[in-house]
Amino acid sequence: MSDGRRTNPTEEHARRHVAEEWDEAHFSTHCVNCVPADCPIYVLVKDGKVVREEAAGVREPMEPGVPDMNPMICQAGLAWSLGMEGPDRLEYPLRRVGERGEGRWERISWDEALTEVADAILDAIEEVGPESLVHEVSPQIGSGHAAWRFTDVLGGQLLDVNATINDFHTGYLQTFGKSSIAHSNDDAFHSELILVWHSNPAYTNIPWFHFMAEARYRGAEIILISPDVSPSHSHVDYHIPVRHGTDGALALAACQVIISEGLVDWGFAASQTDLPLLVRTDTGQYLRQSHLERGGRDDRFFHAHPERGAVPADPANLLLDFKPLAEGTLEVETLDAGRVRVEPLFARLRRMLDEHYTPEQAAEICEVHPDAIRLLARKVASRKTRIPVGVGICKYYHGDLMNRSMLLLLGLTGNWGKKGAGAASWNSFMFDGSSMAMAKTEAGVEAGKALLEASRAIRRHVMEQDPTLSEELADREVVRLLGGRMMLPPAFYWYTHAGFRERWNNPAWNDPDMPRDFDAYYWEAVDSQAWNPATEIAATKPPRVLLEVGGNTLRRTRGGKNALLRNLWPKLTKIVCMDFRMSQTAIYADIVLPAAQHHEKTAFAMPTPWPFILSMSHAVVPPYGESRDEWPVMIDLLEKIAERASARGLESYQRSDGTSRRYDELRNLFTLNGALEDKESVVREELADAVSSGNLPPGTTIETFREKGYSHYNDWAFVSLLTANASPFPRNETHSPLRNHVELGHPYPTLTRRAQFLIDHPWYQEAGEDLPCHKEPPAMGGDYPFRLSGGHSRWSVHAMNMTNPLLLETHRGKPFVLINDRVACEKGIEDDSPVRVWNDVGEFVVPARTSPAQRPDGLTVYNGFEGFLFPGGNGSNEVEVGMVKWLHLAAGYGHLFHSPIEWQPVPFDRCIFVDCKLFVGDSDPAGSKSAVS
Amino acid sequence: MTETHSKADRQVGLVFDLNKCMGCQSCSVACKMLWTRGKGEEHQWWCTTNTMPGRGTPRDWEQMGGGYRDGELVLGHEPSLEEFGGGWKFNKEDVFFGGKGQSVHLTPITADGTPPTWGPNWDEDQGGGRFPNAYFFYLPRICNHCTRPACVEACPSGAMYKREEDGIVLRDQDVCQGSRKCMQACPYKKIYFNHVSGVAQHCNLCFPRLERGVAPACARNCPGRLVFVGMLDDEKDPVHRLVHEWKVALPLHPEFGTEPNVFYVPPLSPYRLREDRSIDTETMRIPPEYLESLFGPRVHEVLAKLRSEIERVREGGRSELLDTLIVYYWKMLFGPFAEEPAVVEAAKGEAR
Repeated sequence: MSDGRRTNPTEEHARRHVAEEWDEAHFSTHCVNCVPADCPIYVLVKDGKVVREEAAGVREPMEPGVPDMNPMICQAGLAWSLGMEGPDRLEYPLRRVGERGEGRWERISWDEALTEVADAILDAIEEVGPESLVHEVSPQIGSGHAAWRFTDVLGGQLLDVNATINDFHTGYLQTFGKSSIAHSNDDAFHSELILVWHSNPAYTNIPWFHFMAEARYRGAEIILISPDVSPSHSHVDYHIPVRHGTDGALALAACQVIISEGLVDWGFAASQTDLPLLVRTDTGQYLRQSHLERGGRDDRFFHAHPERGAVPADPANLLLDFKPLAEGTLEVETLDAGRVRVEPLFARLRRMLDEHYTPEQAAEICEVHPDAIRLLARKVASRKTRIPVGVGICKYYHGDLMNRSMLLLLGLTGNWGKKGAGAASWNSFMFDGSSMAMAKTEAGVEAGKALLEASRAIRRHVMEQDPTLSEELADREVVRLLGGRMMLPPAFYWYTHAGFRERWNNPAWNDPDMPRDFDAYYWEAVDSQAWNPATEIAATKPPRVLLEVGGNTLRRTRGGKNALLRNLWPKLTKIVCMDFRMSQTAIYADIVLPAAQHHEKTAFAMPTPWPFILSMSHAVVPPYGESRDEWPVMIDLLEKIAERASARGLESYQRSDGTSRRYDELRNLFTLNGALEDKESVVREELADAVSSGNLPPGTTIETFREKGYSHYNDWAFVSLLTANASPFPRNETHSPLRNHVELGHPYPTLTRRAQFLIDHPWYQEAGEDLPCHKEPPAMGGDYPFRLSGGHSRWSVHAMNMTNPLLLETHRGKPFVLINDRVACEKGIEDDSPVRVWNDVGEFVVPARTSPAQRPDGLTVYNGFEGFLFPGGNGSNEVEVGMVKWLHLAAGYGHLFHSPIEWQPVPFDRCIFVDCKLFVGDSDPAGSKSAVS
Repeated sequence: MTETHSKADRQVGLVFDLNKCMGCQSCSVACKMLWTRGKGEEHQWWCTTNTMPGRGTPRDWEQMGGGYRDGELVLGHEPSLEEFGGGWKFNKEDVFFGGKGQSVHLTPITADGTPPTWGPNWDEDQGGGRFPNAYFFYLPRICNHCTRPACVEACPSGAMYKREEDGIVLRDQDVCQGSRKCMQACPYKKIYFNHVSGVAQHCNLCFPRLERGVAPACARNCPGRLVFVGMLDDEKDPVHRLVHEWKVALPLHPEFGTEPNVFYVPPLSPYRLREDRSIDTETMRIPPEYLESLFGPRVHEVLAKLRSEIERVREGGRSELLDTLIVYYWKMLFGPFAEEPAVVEAAKGEAR
């Protein structure tokens, strides 16, 4: 600007404020479980303290003609530095004084704290075994890795994080044989039709919401399908206000329209799905090779060739040189039942849809207009359609059915495996370095190469055994054979130790069509051995020590904190919580350890294909108070365990897999014989391994991250969770998963090697869920008129930012229940007055926010509000039952087998049945009956 | 009254595209983190994003008066601390360390020790209409750095002025007497009072950043990529084109008479549902009269133009207007203000 302009001390003061605000700028990031993540940010430091963060906006564009991803930031990141100091930042180790949850603490030294924890672990190992140490794996990869490794080295229980959180799309796995697929954020720009369905991107996808708005300016249309007028409605074209839990009927009716109007992309469906496969009309099952020939396989199926009758469906290559019939019947000679009529699955599906899911029928169920369903169907059939499904659908009891129905809609219309199309999920582990670190027993790049070569050798061996397997399928087979121990499905632990047996067996809270008792299925699953070792450990190893690092079990476990406090807490001799803030779990812990956090330590953000970059937190300021990085703390703890063991004359112990460990070798196991003493050496090792494997570009080091703010990826990570994307690694283009199946005919990792809509497992047939269908949401919580649902909040990444003073001020500074304005009025509930919400499970009190955007029978409490934000200390999870669905215990069927992060029973928290009324007086404030002994 | 310094040589302008705002508050938070964390600034949010329809902050600001009527300056209501809301404190010590178990919970308290009755974004996501045709959108607001700033005319001490080189409206705090006439005069109620220092304060458009070629914190940290910053007289600048060439960026409440230099591309909205829940594709659900009350009578033709451009592009046509609104490269938002706010230590070369 101009010289010699008028200025004054105020202007000069403002200029100095900006010029002297900081003296050092660094790149860093927030290592949190927000997906997308990896936002490169400027961290501005003055006198050794972070004063502010700002978007860096340095990410290079991906595909020409597609908007770039910058700035990549959100309000939580911008205010984050306020949480780096007290009062809710933990400054030194604490020991509980008084009862758990009382909130009285004494300050202790690190040495005292670790000694107490070490003693408790030794007691637990002596009493029960190392499996009595329980760690719920943290999604915060930046922090959680050390505790994972500690627990693994010791032999404790690692509970599967994707079940404790439940971001697992059961419906994807049932259909595709995998759930771990993702798009790049910018792929939405290619979409012609975007269905915002079970998602609230205005709240949850802040850094890449803009791609949807930009797609709209390119001509895309956007349809919101949600029970309420959600906050994401503002920038959509259509809203279909579907009743809670009836989305399956909506999707199936759209499928009925597509079929009856002749809009099916049969070329796609015939190649990519099981719809052309022949099914028996007597048993309802697929026709199998084993039905026709002695010694035939159970996993080989048939098409109906227009001239040649039943022909084998190729298990290795989906590309067809003929058009299988969609209709008609054939007769075949079976070994078990003589002559049997068979027909393409499509014919049966069509009859089912015509009978039960016309638009008029679905409109009744969903409380929408049949023309809205026709509009949806015709648009999906004629446009490149993307459903950016959030992780809310999987938290519905029948979310799997709804999910399968959505995928059927896409499968009939050729809408996946193409840029701008498809549906996707949560996807992480895109970083070879951290995956390899969990498996390596020796340090160094050569050891990493050997590990990779060994895994490739196993894969080659599996492919030799079955040459019809692709690399992806071989990887999944390896997971099936070897993956069971990596993380344990927590369902069995909850059932046995946290009081969920009673809940899950309550017929009132289950699907009323569940044919037998929950226990019948549970014990059948246990007896099948398919869920070992989790079932064995749950049965024989009661929990004694809970190690909470980078997680918050009391806030997030479905079923409420009171369920855990009543059932699990009394069994625990020691609860250790390491965090940077006083969380719900920390308040109820025995020992609280202060963790270093972002910008105070070296760590990685979430390695995920969404942004296709990896970012790091760098140690640019010293840790606050006595807080420490988790890695050296775990080392110290292992040393302390060895020291205390020696003092007791203990040398070694047995793990439940039969192996034994010496106390004095634990430290070396953890540090790979001294190679990994501190976080930075870990990070360097991981980067070296990822460069060597080709996952990251050559020359990538911590220094290049510090200079550039992030790193590109060079290739997919080697783990099966990433090869599941089944698309070419994108070079200068957006990424959409499943392209290899569509373009190259690669098989899917399912029983039929195709996207599978029929699950002919006996339990599924018994339940009538072998084909996707609509089922009413069960009365989880009792017979009450309101449907309580939620979603990730706008104002915090889970609970992490819930007490940030600035972020609290961007809303009302407290939780709220969103209630329809007219309904509230009828109940005498004014805006902001307290409301009691209850059902047969529990209750809580929360202020009302009234709005016409809420459905009359709907209530919404967003996720992440800790119990201590509610009067009486009970949060909305107190009314959650925490049900799981019996069909998710099915195993030993093709692609339904326990796999880490994926197939297992997962708990639900959406569409809870509750009632509500104005809360008057504190004669019985919610929570007084739930005091912990 | 002071002579208005309204004859700026050049004028910085901003355009907020309301078809992209998701109400995340990043702009508000970015501004507050940079500017208003000092004493007496606790309740000051120079940038606010509110749900519309809604009462906003300060509560019912649209009815508080100020601005010009028939060319004459009008002094309106001076908003109180309670009407602005904010500046809350929390009882963290008590909840986390006070040994009181479940008998206390974390709760906000205002400066006078009472529970809040309003805040900078109190009526978030409440909106208007009736289920299922409820509707709302988000409206970020900063000081409009008006061409005819009522605050400057109302200022009795001459503290307030409008810079010639860029049209930014500022206040000389050494001259400010704390009369708060500016707060009465501003019809947008975007001026705050610092009760500790005794002077008024408001958005300074991050002028020290602009002078270095760096975009304002609100614009630069907006993940929606919806804030255009540029010089209104530069014919090539997107801000100029959106306001003066395509004329799709409109002032908010033009009837206030202050000629704001912050403009808005008005929001499209989802189609209405009829009684029987069928979709009425002729009618968007935000009532046109409501939008007209905010952006003036041209809002209807602007929305129609956006719709027709989108349809044209859907059929394979090209639209320079939409290409500009898409913002293919993030930095294109900022015109001459696309410099980095920082150079990181590691990139400073051999000094390390």
